[in-house]
Amino acid sequence: MAEIDEPPQPTTTDPHQTPQTPLQSGVIADPNPDNTRSSKPGIKRLIMISTVLFSFILGLPFLLKSIEIYRSPLPFRDIELLGDRFESSPRRLPCKFQAVFLGFEGGSSGGFFDVEKLGFVILDEMRELSRNNGKCGGCDLNYTVSVTAESEAGCVTNQGSSMPSLWQCGSFSELDDRLKEDDESVDEWLDSMLGKYNGDLADGGKMYTVVVMSRDEEARIVVGKHRHAWIRGNFGEKDAVDKVANIFVKYFMNGGKEDGLVKGEFMPVGADGRIVLSFSLLNADPQHWIYNWNFERIEEVKLFPIIKVLASVANISVESQVLYHTPKSSFSYWDEKLSSFIFSTKDLPFFVNSNEWHLDTSIAAGGRSKVLQFVVYIPSAEECPLLLQLPNGEISSTNGFISPMWGGVVVWNPSDCEKIFTVTLISDRKAEILDIEMMEWIAISQLRQNFDDSSEPSLSPILLLQSTVRFSARWELIARSFHETWQNLMFWGTIQISSSKLKQSRGRGLIIGKIRHQVMLSLQAANLAENNASLGIYEASTVSSRQARALAEDAFFHPSIMSISYYSFEHCFAIYTPFFLPVLLHVVLAAVKEWKRYKKEQAKYLAGKSKAKAE
Amino acid sequence: MGIIQPVLIVALVVLGCFNLCYGGEEFSEELLLRPLPDRKVLAHFHFESTTPPTKDYGHHHHLFPKAIYQLVHKFRIRELELSFTQGRWNYERWGGSDPISSSNAKPPGVELWAIFDVPLDQVDATWKNLTHTLSGLFCASINFLDSTTAYSSPAWAFQQSSGSIRYGALPREAVCTENLTPWLKLLPCRDKSGLASILDRPAIYRGFYHSQRLRITSNEFGSEGIEPGIDLEQTLTIVVQPDDQRTSTSYSSGKMLQPDWSIRSIFGRKISGTCVLARSSSVFLELESTLVSELNKVGVDNAASDGEQVYPGVELSVAPDQVIKERKSSSVLFEFSVKKHDYKPLDIGVKWKYPIVWSCVQAPFQANRFLMGSGNERGSIAISLRATNHQRIIVGDEFRDNCEMRVVIFQVVPWYVKIYFHTVQVFLDGRLEHTPAVIEIIQVSPSEDRVSPGVMEIALRLPCSTVSAVITVNFDKGFLHIDEYPPDANQGYDIPSAVVRFPDIQASTYYLGENSSQNSPILSKFQENNPVLSYTEVLLVPLATPDFSMPYNVITITCTVFALYFGSLLNVLRRRVGEEERLLKQKAAGKTALLPLILSKLSSKLRGRSREPSESPSPSPLLSNKLIMKVILLAGLAVAWHFYFG
Repeated sequence: MAEIDEPPQPTTTDPHQTPQTPLQSGVIADPNPDNTRSSKPGIKRLIMISTVLFSFILGLPFLLKSIEIYRSPLPFRDIELLGDRFESSPRRLPCKFQAVFLGFEGGSSGGFFDVEKLGFVILDEMRELSRNNGKCGGCDLNYTVSVTAESEAGCVTNQGSSMPSLWQCGSFSELDDRLKEDDESVDEWLDSMLGKYNGDLADGGKMYTVVVMSRDEEARIVVGKHRHAWIRGNFGEKDAVDKVANIFVKYFMNGGKEDGLVKGEFMPVGADGRIVLSFSLLNADPQHWIYNWNFERIEEVKLFPIIKVLASVANISVESQVLYHTPKSSFSYWDEKLSSFIFSTKDLPFFVNSNEWHLDTSIAAGGRSKVLQFVVYIPSAEECPLLLQLPNGEISSTNGFISPMWGGVVVWNPSDCEKIFTVTLISDRKAEILDIEMMEWIAISQLRQNFDDSSEPSLSPILLLQSTVRFSARWELIARSFHETWQNLMFWGTIQISSSKLKQSRGRGLIIGKIRHQVMLSLQAANLAENNASLGIYEASTVSSRQARALAEDAFFHPSIMSISYYSFEHCFAIYTPFFLPVLLHVVLAAVKEWKRYKKEQAKYLAGKSKAKAE
Repeated sequence: MGIIQPVLIVALVVLGCFNLCYGGEEFSEELLLRPLPDRKVLAHFHFESTTPPTKDYGHHHHLFPKAIYQLVHKFRIRELELSFTQGRWNYERWGGSDPISSSNAKPPGVELWAIFDVPLDQVDATWKNLTHTLSGLFCASINFLDSTTAYSSPAWAFQQSSGSIRYGALPREAVCTENLTPWLKLLPCRDKSGLASILDRPAIYRGFYHSQRLRITSNEFGSEGIEPGIDLEQTLTIVVQPDDQRTSTSYSSGKMLQPDWSIRSIFGRKISGTCVLARSSSVFLELESTLVSELNKVGVDNAASDGEQVYPGVELSVAPDQVIKERKSSSVLFEFSVKKHDYKPLDIGVKWKYPIVWSCVQAPFQANRFLMGSGNERGSIAISLRATNHQRIIVGDEFRDNCEMRVVIFQVVPWYVKIYFHTVQVFLDGRLEHTPAVIEIIQVSPSEDRVSPGVMEIALRLPCSTVSAVITVNFDKGFLHIDEYPPDANQGYDIPSAVVRFPDIQASTYYLGENSSQNSPILSKFQENNPVLSYTEVLLVPLATPDFSMPYNVITITCTVFALYFGSLLNVLRRRVGEEERLLKQKAAGKTALLPLILSKLSSKLRGRSREPSESPSPSPLLSNKLIMKVILLAGLAVAWHFYFG
């Protein structure tokens, strides 16, 4: 048991013997016991302590594994790949275009209009126009233009395009008859004629058509509600090409915006596809006057048609309230020249008084619904009339402003500011009614602006059939919907990549199976949305993208992610230190001592050996 | 068309406005002040908003709060009552059988009950969503009521309903200004004008009792027997002690004079006007029948006064616009219309000229609840009903021997207090009664561990001559899982108040006025026939709580034991006993400790003989150099510690 060294005689190796006396030991046999020894130092203890030390070190990973927190395996790699793909290569619509030239006689190649050349010219022009387009939405760069020309000489289609022409040759005369009717019926006729074959296109994409008619009359351009536009007038070939390319790019590719749908813009639609339009009428000081509105009527007559049209973009609900004692929080000053109180655009960040304007989120809008606030502010008699001054010194014609993604505010001044400034009882005076016409116009234009619709159709020579209410045209909805899909996917990429990084960086964070399930579903939905978008199935892709985004949010905000704080590394360290620290200390010290001793004894042995040799 | 349409709208709007604008929606604000016998004052604010049914009026409102309308529609609420209370209503001193104490005296913390108009299988899900919504709306922890262990479904003892009622209470919920602010936001004028403008937060929260309540009654979904539309009743009941400048004044009879008070002295503000949106805005001062009869006894007072002397001994600072007398008793109500004082701040005050002692009208029995037994294993809950003097007033002496009085008790206990319902015992005047003779109906719903609380509904039929009745029931204390313990578990666990109802006695007062009761919502509420109801105290049950650091301690000590064992074993395995002994001997032979050497030399000189070599080579361990150095070092450290940190 207490055997010290390898003995010179085999009889002394019995480990079960009682401790040997120094005289029996090999060490004592040497006349100078401090420097030399005759027997080889034993290595049993060294082996034992090394075994313990290595077992201890090797066992550590097993222990750490056994106390590891459950982390469902997440497809971090797939998420990063997909997110990077959304970031680096923006998605675009697969577009197909068709230009139909009717009644254009002659051309550079004999009797027929040179449709081949025309196709390339339009394509070049379109590429030129769409060069500076925004990064999201829009059409795929591989689009082609099919050109069909029909005249009395015959009907010809270019061969350069891979797509068949949807125009039925011989329909010119029928269209000519239709043009005598109103634009709506022309639009419907074009849709019925062109749409008949539109769905048959192999890859599911739909074709946009511009019909150009050469006539001796004033130029007229109409963009229809579906996927068609028509141009009448006396144009030259170049003019016609310019106009066709312009319509293709501005309306059909960019959804009616000059610069396309830029990255960073955002639709105020909740992740669940719902929007609550919350209208509030604020009476700054009811002691001075009280104004009221008949919102039922406003909703019925003005808002309902918009909601109906926007139904494809979002599920919209409307609510209203009238609030009292709601002063603004910014200051205004009296302008003698204008005889008004003025607040400038610099004051706008402080105009909304969140202390007193309890606009609130809506109980009806649960979950991820987006609430857009529209506020009609009626100033008190002490600061009436209240006007908004623009940075150029002019007075705002609308007297209101919008805050994107929040809503808008309109300041409405009573017609006669000096009328009341005495406190009267409510029963003695009737609540006055707002000048609804003006107010609703501003509110609705603010609503349109919040939906990223700042175009002014009336200023354009191009007649849009949907001009009374936006989002009624098919082409516009497609662009809008695709834009939303793209934004959702971008958001998905951001949130999932952040989530992945967070989860990877927090090694001890719990990842429950539900999170994995949500992440997997979200990934699937994002892939599906991308596929559908590339196939031009825009409605389905929007739905999938919303789902992907909602699931990504769910996974990111899952409460279980907080459990990381319950079992941090520090906690784990504190629990296992009382065991590991003393044991490790014992083992390491023993190993070091034993190793030192072995080296010392080995040196003695070698010295003894060399001495013996020398002797 | 484009031009005609807006013009048409404006025309329609202008025509429709005068019918619609506030025609259907109404808001009223009222304040009731009442001196209490224990030198305190009760202030009861009553705000009421009503809206016509949606099918007639639409879903856009001008006065009615949007949040409440959406709440009613989203959760299909037929009735809902939510109260936040701090302090306990003193039934003995502040009254127990009037409408305020029956309807507005609430148990401490949060109490919520709601009746839904949804299919029975959806009631629980709707309740859960409702609690979360209310939690957000009122900045409170009402969401803790979403667990099935926290709420119950009373069958008949609390309210008559067809199974769609849910009841929950959070006795430990702290109530403060963050709950009052969202409550005030539901008022059209908030606290910017009108009666609510006097609600000074410190004045409210330094009071003895305050309870803010919200009650919604809706007939939006075709319920019968309720006024059509939605009715939102918001009340704030406060009991405060007015600052008394004449505390030392006492009369020869030993009676103390009641403190003079005014609205300004209580709230620090005067009423500076009405909320312009309110249909009615009134302040009432109520003198109870017992007080009026005491005042009448005082006699005619001829002393000069600068205020309005309404009774001998009481003087009001403002002349009331109307005096209304109660139909059944001699209670008196003074009405002050705020609109009439709109141009001048209104500060209603009371001055007492003589010391007057009176007592409030109490419920027939005063209910108390307490715990019996000790230890962490089992105990009993006892509900004691003690007859009050006013039982005689209500019932009448001549009928006391022959009549019986029904008392309904509703009690919810959490699952970890395991009630044994078969141990229910009833003691009448100290005698154990045969249970079926006293208990008319008993319905119990035993608790299920971690699933549902225990619910006990008992209807007792007690003889009117009963002086005291005690109902006891035994329970075992359960054990919770370590993560089920709330913070500060050693404080104990609150069991929500039991509800005691007296269905035979109605808490209603009928004030006869010219037009008051017709127009005043608060007086209309007082006339409603609601049974007298009181709440018992919240019980604090101490449960066995573990040492929460125990798991950590166990791990630590186990690890330490393992480490010691392991280390010792390792030492034993690698020790070389023979070698160590040899080395020790060599060391001992080589040197002798200095101090023992000096000491032995010193002693030999003293003895006058030469020093003998020590027998033992080993030095005394007590006197070793190292030890002495260590002691000196430690002492130095201790002195330094004491010097710098002591």
